[in-house]
Amino acid sequence: MTQNKRNREMSSVALQESTRRHFFSQCSTGVGSIALASLLADRRLGAEPIAPTTNPLEPKVAHFPAKAKNVIFLFMAGGPSQLETFDYKPKLNELSGQPIPQSFIEGKRFAFMGSSHRTDLLGFRPKFKQCGQDGTWVSDYLPHTGKIVDDLSIVKTCSTDLFNHAPAKLFMNTGTGLFGRPSLGAWTTYGLGSECDNLPGFVVLQSGPRGPRGGAMHWTSGVLPTTYQGVPLRNQGDPILNLSTPGSISEVQQRQLVDTIRDLNLKRLVETGDQEISTRINAYEMAYRMQTSAPELMDTADESQATMDAYGIKDANESSYARNCLLARRLVQRGVRFVQLYHTNWDHHGGANENLETHLPAICKEIDKSTAALIQDLKQSGLLDETLVIWGGEFGRTPMGEVRKSTGRNHHIDAFTMWFAGGGMKPGTVYGETDEFGFAPVDKGCHVRDIHATILHQLGLDHEKLSVRFQGLDVRLTGVEKAHVLQDIIA
Amino acid sequence: MNNFLMNQLRRHDLVPIVLLWLAAATPLAVAKDPPVDSDSADASVVGSAPLSYSRDIRPILSENCFACHGFDKSAREADLRLDIRQGAVDDGEVIEAGASGSSTLIERITSADPDERMPPAESGHDLSAEQIQKLRRWIDEGAVYETHWAFVAPSRDSALSQTPDVKGQIANPIDRLVQARLADIGVEQSPPAGVDTLIRRVSLDLIGLPPSVAEIAAFETASAIDSDAAYSALVDRLLSSDHYGERWGRWWLDQARYADSHGYSVDGARRIWLFRDWVIKALNDDMPFDQFTIEQLAGDLLPDATDWQKVATGFHRNTQINQEGGIDREQFRIDSVVDRVGTTGTVWLGLTVGCAQCHDHKFDPLTQKDFYQLFAFLNNQDEPSLTVFPNGVDGDELKAQQKRLQSEQQAIIERTADQVSGWESSLDDTAKKALSAATSKALAIDAKKRKTNQRWDLLKGSGILVDGPVGDSVDAAEMIDQQLSSLSTELSKGVSTMVLADRSTPRETKILIKGDFTRPSDIVQPGTPTVLHQLQAEAELATRLDLARWIVSPENPLTARVISNRIWQQYFGRGLVETDNDFGLQGTSPTHPQLLDWLAIELQQSGWSLKDLHRKIVSSRTYRQSSKVRQDLTDVDPLNIYLGRQNRLRLDAEIVRDVGLVASGLFSPKFGGPPVYPPIPAGVMTLGQQRKTWTASRGDDRYRRGLYTFVYRATPPPSLNVFDAPDGLASCTQRLRSNTPLQALTLLNDLSFFEFAQALRVIIDQEGLEIAFQRCTSRRPTADELALLKTLDPLNAARALLNLDETINRE
Repeated sequence: MTQNKRNREMSSVALQESTRRHFFSQCSTGVGSIALASLLADRRLGAEPIAPTTNPLEPKVAHFPAKAKNVIFLFMAGGPSQLETFDYKPKLNELSGQPIPQSFIEGKRFAFMGSSHRTDLLGFRPKFKQCGQDGTWVSDYLPHTGKIVDDLSIVKTCSTDLFNHAPAKLFMNTGTGLFGRPSLGAWTTYGLGSECDNLPGFVVLQSGPRGPRGGAMHWTSGVLPTTYQGVPLRNQGDPILNLSTPGSISEVQQRQLVDTIRDLNLKRLVETGDQEISTRINAYEMAYRMQTSAPELMDTADESQATMDAYGIKDANESSYARNCLLARRLVQRGVRFVQLYHTNWDHHGGANENLETHLPAICKEIDKSTAALIQDLKQSGLLDETLVIWGGEFGRTPMGEVRKSTGRNHHIDAFTMWFAGGGMKPGTVYGETDEFGFAPVDKGCHVRDIHATILHQLGLDHEKLSVRFQGLDVRLTGVEKAHVLQDIIA
Repeated sequence: MNNFLMNQLRRHDLVPIVLLWLAAATPLAVAKDPPVDSDSADASVVGSAPLSYSRDIRPILSENCFACHGFDKSAREADLRLDIRQGAVDDGEVIEAGASGSSTLIERITSADPDERMPPAESGHDLSAEQIQKLRRWIDEGAVYETHWAFVAPSRDSALSQTPDVKGQIANPIDRLVQARLADIGVEQSPPAGVDTLIRRVSLDLIGLPPSVAEIAAFETASAIDSDAAYSALVDRLLSSDHYGERWGRWWLDQARYADSHGYSVDGARRIWLFRDWVIKALNDDMPFDQFTIEQLAGDLLPDATDWQKVATGFHRNTQINQEGGIDREQFRIDSVVDRVGTTGTVWLGLTVGCAQCHDHKFDPLTQKDFYQLFAFLNNQDEPSLTVFPNGVDGDELKAQQKRLQSEQQAIIERTADQVSGWESSLDDTAKKALSAATSKALAIDAKKRKTNQRWDLLKGSGILVDGPVGDSVDAAEMIDQQLSSLSTELSKGVSTMVLADRSTPRETKILIKGDFTRPSDIVQPGTPTVLHQLQAEAELATRLDLARWIVSPENPLTARVISNRIWQQYFGRGLVETDNDFGLQGTSPTHPQLLDWLAIELQQSGWSLKDLHRKIVSSRTYRQSSKVRQDLTDVDPLNIYLGRQNRLRLDAEIVRDVGLVASGLFSPKFGGPPVYPPIPAGVMTLGQQRKTWTASRGDDRYRRGLYTFVYRATPPPSLNVFDAPDGLASCTQRLRSNTPLQALTLLNDLSFFEFAQALRVIIDQEGLEIAFQRCTSRRPTADELALLKTLDPLNAARALLNLDETINRE
């Protein structure tokens, strides 16, 4: 719409000129560009201006100079325990088995209140080591992360509002527990457009035993046009839905088809003057380019063995978190604005396949090496400066234990750990402190909306200005409550 | 509580709310167009006609002042309210009517001292010199306030309905009112659309399907003789087609947030398609809109409610249900009631009632108490399923018969119990081997754990039943078996659907502080917002039925306008009120207020006939004109707000599919019934928390209209989703129309569309390219177009046709 408005303000001479320029720049790669040029030189164009080709994802100017161009959000779905990873609380082991003082939990609500929720403190198993220049505590479940700790800004005092998975994940992605609101990635492409003309601006990758609870709602465009919604890159079948040409249609036939559709659409554009047709012509060109560029992206044959080893990719075609980390780097390399990885399952309650004894260390191992490799790889290639990497889940786990088949921890919303790297964040910082049990912040709290405000800020977007009108409200990622940019962790 | 939390809370309380609610729209985030009245308002500043509060002043005050000096008492600063005259002139004394020079308001908004100046700098708002000038003039003219237009009953000029007797004059009031506005900006309407464009347009708009080649030819012939008569006959034919209910049913289902699953993360399948069929049928029957409303909101409370009327209450069962483990069920029940209140407000009142869930509305005269009084109407339900039987079948009677037979069966079993157990203990291994499978199976179960049917099998196998027609005989047993089996067949024809039913003891409704269900405060009773007309309740405690009747009361200034506007929006892509779901103070003003009122009154006076309203709109010249972009028009009215032409509109997601089905000849016109599973790309259903099975339908069901496709809320069918089909998560009153590369990939490569192309290719082979072209676009191709298509082989030519922008648009 902004584009439309801007267009209207341009003089008609400028319009014609920009139409020509745009078509030539956008379509010059195609086989049919000569035919197109002659069509444009056709009778009507001189006499009657046609609105320029509109691409809703054209790069836009940010509110203020950005520190980061791209985002990679490593979403640890299920709620990783802060107490077994980054928030070192020796007191928990001292008092393990004793009830948490009543003052902590008075009036609090938790998930599974009526069933498996418990109030006794539970100690932790991993050993913690001091890592990096400042001796930051990191558990030995994450040895590789420990080695890159000087590149990270760790926030220990994150808090959220909702304690069930789907609503809390939505909250982390959209700033509300309601289904149908725009996600962080959609807001980002809405605000900044995309600098990649052969891949979607917002891409989602998944690994682990199941998809994240809430499904496609996590990358929805919500009340924004679907132009901005996240596109899942799949590891099976077409990487993007309907990417491959059907039946026995050859590539040459497909190109001829797309050219013919364009020529016919162009005739209709001249006939009706409806500029939406030029948007569609552009969309077909992009779709056609995606048919080549997406498989090329997925084909990692051009990566060295050393790179594959660093990420811990054993089989180049396997579907894994490790491969998705490599794909994330390849995506930002190609200018994709927002990449989100989901890895399940971090929901360690103590039930089957989800305990603290074996499953938590196992999943830590699944992500540790590749995550560290991604940061180092981005750093080496100079991409880390302009790429903001985020690690975290929808909430944390309680200091109190949960006893099911084995031990676990319940969902916890008052304090959990996330970390950031690159994208203009201050490396080697730890933000906020929690109490002796890691239950709640005692210094420098950080709500999800502060995280959102900070991410947008790094991208050059003002969270109070980035809005869309829906049902009488100016909908914003950070909602109606005050959000704060975390200045302390910004370089 | 620790210091940090205290600080957080304090900071929160001091947040300048004005800033949060009224973020200045930056060029970057502008998602709405400039106020439509700006031209005329500018004119009125320099002109001599007095300023209008509603048109000229209220938008300024609403945007810049009301957040802190408006309706919401808790957010009000300095105890000053400017939204009513009493507050500004009498109590606040900041306006001296007739004397802007001595009005504090003007002093404050023009003050050079930043501490004095209003609005405060941190609000992000600033009044322009022109706005200040308007306020001055308005005060000098007496500071006359007006009630917000939408809260005043619609009215009309009686002269409008008089039919001019001279042929050639504009008969339809719609055209008169539209052309009057166009005359103001000095342009004329466009010529009528061509015959083929017109039949395609009106067919797609009324039934959601393109015309057949034969229908186009017949219309062309008839139009050549008498174009008005031909068009009128065409409209009649379309309005009486059953496909009309499908097309407009989907319009309503968007608003009803209909889908086939429970939503949230688990998103299990649900059965509520009878409600969908109810909507389609009600629209086909042209059920008056007031009755349509009452049955959906309170069909179960009508005297002698029929099952079919109860099915209608599925409207408010289209809320999500969270099946996730570890949840607090009450929390999600409250969420669904909140959704029902908000949806009722949006759909019928065009008010953002939901804004008052946590606090008084910032702009509209809706208190938080109003919200919870509406909440109280919708808080007293149980949420059962109802089994509905085919016409003429009495399910209750069938169940009673079944019960009678079962007790008869039980009696025989009890009477013969001793004999059977004697027989059982007499059996040796040889005798056991000779028994039937059913008898052996029953015998293998411990005697105490046997169920009725197992004891029955045992009795039948024991030889204890006597031959002959009387007593505990073989014949009697056979009769019981036969009857039970036919009853169970009959009973299985029942279809279950989700409905509302009132609880015998109503729940107590309390205002929830900040909308938080853990913080209940004062008790409230069912009631309606005080700003609107009075509620007439039959009993002391008002019911949902009272609420429904209140909504369709002739005194309600909103509903008829809101619905007429929303129908208009379907035909022109934009409502007369652009914010179709916000008729409140923050909504846009109507571009053609008289026209909106005329439509609303016509709707009510026709006995709430929607078909009548459709006919009036599509019969107008305004509707029938060409949609071609005209430079002279674009210069003065770039967004075509004044309707100097029709608008070219992308078809709805389901209709994109329907056009492909009809063009390729695969279309199955089958009506209603359970949702179907057209092919979707592999792996789509594994994206959510729980993998869903999706076995593609075969036969007719593979080629049904898009509206019959099964929709999982969390993993919607990609080919519908990509064309902006709503997800059923919240009421959708206006679809977005995006235009993306993923749409191109869908039309180019999706399995369903490839099937359509293969079928269309056969048509090309048999009937030629021209016919295939016409099936897709409803017009004949030009020589150039044919030449382009002929460069492709027939299959790719078919694909090209299905991919044309024109094929998925109506012009």
